[in-house]
Amino acid sequence: MTLALEAAVLGILTGGVYALMASGLTLIFGVMRIINVGHGALVVLGAYLSFALWNRWNIDPFLSLVVTMPVMFVLGVILQIVFVRPLKTDREALSVLVTYGLALGIEGLLGYFFTSNYVQITAWYDTASFPIGSFRVAYVYVLGFLLCLAILGAMFLLLYRTSFGSAIRATMLNRTAAQLVGIDVDRVSAFAFGIGMATAAAGGVVFGITNSFNPGSHYDLISRLLTIIVLGGLGSLRGAIIAALIMLVTTDITAVVISPVWASFVFFVILVAVLLVRPQGLFGVSVRDRL
Amino acid sequence: MRLPDMRVLMGSGMVVLLAFALVLPSISPDSATTNMATFTLMYVGLATAWNIMGGYTGYISLGHAGFFGFGSYTLGLLLAKLGVAGGYTPFLFVPVAGLITALLAVLVGWFALRTRAATFVIVTIAFMFMLQLLAENLIGLTGGGSGLGFPIPPWRGDFYDIPFYYAMLVLALLGLAVSWWIRRSKFGLGLLAIRDDEDKALAVGVPAGAFKLTAFVVSAALVGMIGGVYGYYVTYIYPQFVVDPLIGISMVLMVFLGGLGTLGGPVLGAVILEPAQLWLAYHYGASRLYLVLYSAVFLLVILLMPRGIIPSVRELIARWRARAPAPQKVVAP
Amino acid sequence: MRKALIASVAGLGLTLISCGGGGTATATPSPGTPITIGVSVSLTGDFSGDGKALVQGYDLWAQDINAKGGLLGHQVTMKYVDDASSTEQVVSNYQKLISSDQVALVFGPYSSLLTKPAAVVVERLGYAFPEPAGGAPSVFAAGHKNLFFVQPAAIEDNLVSYTQWLLSLPADQRPATAAYATEDDPFTQPQIDKAKSLLEAAGIHTVSYKVYPAETTDFTPLALQVVNSKADAVILGTQVPDAIAFVKTFITQRYNPKTIIETAGPDQGSTYSDKLGANTEGIMVPAGWTAGSTAYGNPIFVSEFIAKYGGTAADISADAAEAYSVGQVVDQAATKANSIDNQKLIDTLHTGVYQTVQGPMGFDAVGRPTGGVGVFVEQWQGGSAVFVYPPSVASAQPEYPKHDWQ
Repeated sequence: MTLALEAAVLGILTGGVYALMASGLTLIFGVMRIINVGHGALVVLGAYLSFALWNRWNIDPFLSLVVTMPVMFVLGVILQIVFVRPLKTDREALSVLVTYGLALGIEGLLGYFFTSNYVQITAWYDTASFPIGSFRVAYVYVLGFLLCLAILGAMFLLLYRTSFGSAIRATMLNRTAAQLVGIDVDRVSAFAFGIGMATAAAGGVVFGITNSFNPGSHYDLISRLLTIIVLGGLGSLRGAIIAALIMLVTTDITAVVISPVWASFVFFVILVAVLLVRPQGLFGVSVRDRL
Repeated sequence: MRLPDMRVLMGSGMVVLLAFALVLPSISPDSATTNMATFTLMYVGLATAWNIMGGYTGYISLGHAGFFGFGSYTLGLLLAKLGVAGGYTPFLFVPVAGLITALLAVLVGWFALRTRAATFVIVTIAFMFMLQLLAENLIGLTGGGSGLGFPIPPWRGDFYDIPFYYAMLVLALLGLAVSWWIRRSKFGLGLLAIRDDEDKALAVGVPAGAFKLTAFVVSAALVGMIGGVYGYYVTYIYPQFVVDPLIGISMVLMVFLGGLGTLGGPVLGAVILEPAQLWLAYHYGASRLYLVLYSAVFLLVILLMPRGIIPSVRELIARWRARAPAPQKVVAP
Repeated sequence: MRKALIASVAGLGLTLISCGGGGTATATPSPGTPITIGVSVSLTGDFSGDGKALVQGYDLWAQDINAKGGLLGHQVTMKYVDDASSTEQVVSNYQKLISSDQVALVFGPYSSLLTKPAAVVVERLGYAFPEPAGGAPSVFAAGHKNLFFVQPAAIEDNLVSYTQWLLSLPADQRPATAAYATEDDPFTQPQIDKAKSLLEAAGIHTVSYKVYPAETTDFTPLALQVVNSKADAVILGTQVPDAIAFVKTFITQRYNPKTIIETAGPDQGSTYSDKLGANTEGIMVPAGWTAGSTAYGNPIFVSEFIAKYGGTAADISADAAEAYSVGQVVDQAATKANSIDNQKLIDTLHTGVYQTVQGPMGFDAVGRPTGGVGVFVEQWQGGSAVFVYPPSVASAQPEYPKHDWQ
């Protein structure tokens, strides 16, 4: 029983990271109606950037975000303009292919510069911990969780308290209508992609501290992130956050109570069960339009 | 018009290609070339099968690798449980594996087709991973991570690849025949109507649900049979290698490269991409940059020819013939 | 249409058989000509770290053999192709190496997973298949006549000497309980299962046993389970990433078992110690090879390795030593047979004893190593891994119980 509780705590803490990564993905979907299959690779890229800064100049991984988030934001805007914007017909399918192509390219470049060996970002404090009863929680997990909360909070503020945020939300609701009322949808899209990438950078740091990774890690990551945003409802930020927590808590508890081999399976079962009742996901709007 | 009809041209091209495919093993310089040709034909079959669902109905499944792996495991287990020895007999069980895959596809399709568009894409991915996890976890049945062995065929030397080559050829031709028939049938028209606007199709009386499910099942069964032959060919299968997302996405890529919803598009896409990939991996794999090269080529193609090669070329020819902005022929978008 | 097709298949088949489809028997190269040896290695994908180490070992051997005048007078060039850690590619690669590039010999790839399908192709084409890394029971169960596993013992016996050491401890110090966790992989799980059955038979109580998918990336819940079992002995079937992750969680949770052994990871030199620093102290790993061993040619191997690739003895991966051994075995077999013809090599390798940097070994009918010195227990002490058991090879006393984490 205590073990299940420990697993639940761990699930919530790591769930925060997934919530952050998934929120970027769902935001990009909401604004552009594209599935960014390259999101996992972008997270891994973010992790490698921080890894390089830490490895080369001993810059603290959390501190390195000051550099990597803006860099990734700019890169995101560029990628959106060069690769996503030109897609006019069949956007939904073609965007999957284009972003997949980007993922492969990023994987190849990372493999070239960093080899395919597994690495992990190891700060000096990464095994420091504090006790809760007989269980010890590592500070990095808590730090990572707080960081994710802070960034998610900032994202909500941006979306709900600024005029640019209203433009983003309007675009998410109805792209054509947004265009009609004079919102520069292309600009909003580029910014949304940039924000998605910046959150990927932040998620990447926490992911890189708590997991060992190599350039090929993005396949596993993207499959988890995609199922999270579908469970939460495509385009719903709140949904992504709640689904991420559900996923990590159930898989971690299943891993210790039943067996690790069934951990991810249970999550997929939950996904299927939810979709049977609500094909649009937990917080999704019923999708009658053809997207 | 004195110019030769497009269809005659295409038709004669197909006949030449088929003749070439039939004699290829006997003119192939070594077994490695036959091996490459076998994998290429495998992807011709896979892309063609995927196109029946993805191309005609517009429902993009990224999870077809699940059916590939399922067919593979089904054949392997059938052969193991029935004690079939290596040789030609295992090929007789390939249709059985296809049938069982079809049954699974009915179940998956019934569920997945409740969703549309982007959700459908991701649900198919989820199903693929569920199948992969089952293959990993049902150790008593599948052998889990230690893999499942097929009976080893008795053929030696250069002859070994030839039966597999023809098995893949038969399946690819079967897929093409089905695809061709569907395109010309009322059923096919219904599918295309669903792709253009599902709600309108429903309104004019197309039984969209049944049509989509049929296309999905046919497509999955073909993929399952090909998976079976593949397993027998490589002799050992592992969950992560037969239920491999890359196999699933390769089919999709080939279809898009050649031309979505066309008959020849998937063939063209497979014939270009698969040898290119094998060749790049073999010659540049060591430099680690081959992934970058591969991705660059494919991004360029998508950005320059978003509709695929065949529709783009067709349009070009049409324009060249008319020498004037002719009324656009309705081709696959 | 299909009838015609089937007929033509049958017809073609018959023609080919009557032509004597006897295989890709390449002519033995004439004396003194240079030869190429082909290897499919994982330069990308999950096994790429190990793949790189294999390349280092093979390259070093090729350099050495060429310096002494070549393999039976043939200068050797190594040709590597990437299999991206995938079965489809490994099958294609060996086929290409043999039938299209017509290399004179082939050596094995990394891991049992890829060795199994590769062995089928190589056997079919009539080549010998000495390999450094495919030693799972299922590899030998396939009964290949051309395969030779160049390690001192079959994989499943890797932990036997560790269990002997545990049971040799005085009864009052011996661990009373043990926790096991292993990847579902043909390399790791057989080792753990064998160790578990041996220890249970000797009365060491199993308090936790978990098998996890090889694709797992977050090992913390698994490690927590081991922590909660409070076992005295922790026995893990790991590769590199999980080997590190488990120990990290143990450190975080301040869980100090009396002994920890991991099937792979701690034998990877600095790849492992970089991540754990001083906390590698006391961790054990089964190893057939250590940099400090005085086995045949080993001191030279170690000094040349450092000269060629830099670093220290602790940086050398056991994979590299295993690959180097493959070359040594083939060299001796070629000399003995006075030929590099594959069939002659196969016949020769089934008899006699061969000296390697991992000690002497021979091979039975299916290529399982025999007469080898077995696999020993290595332990990290003061920043490098040393043999600690059995006493006949030990260069230090085993540290037991393991010190607490720092």
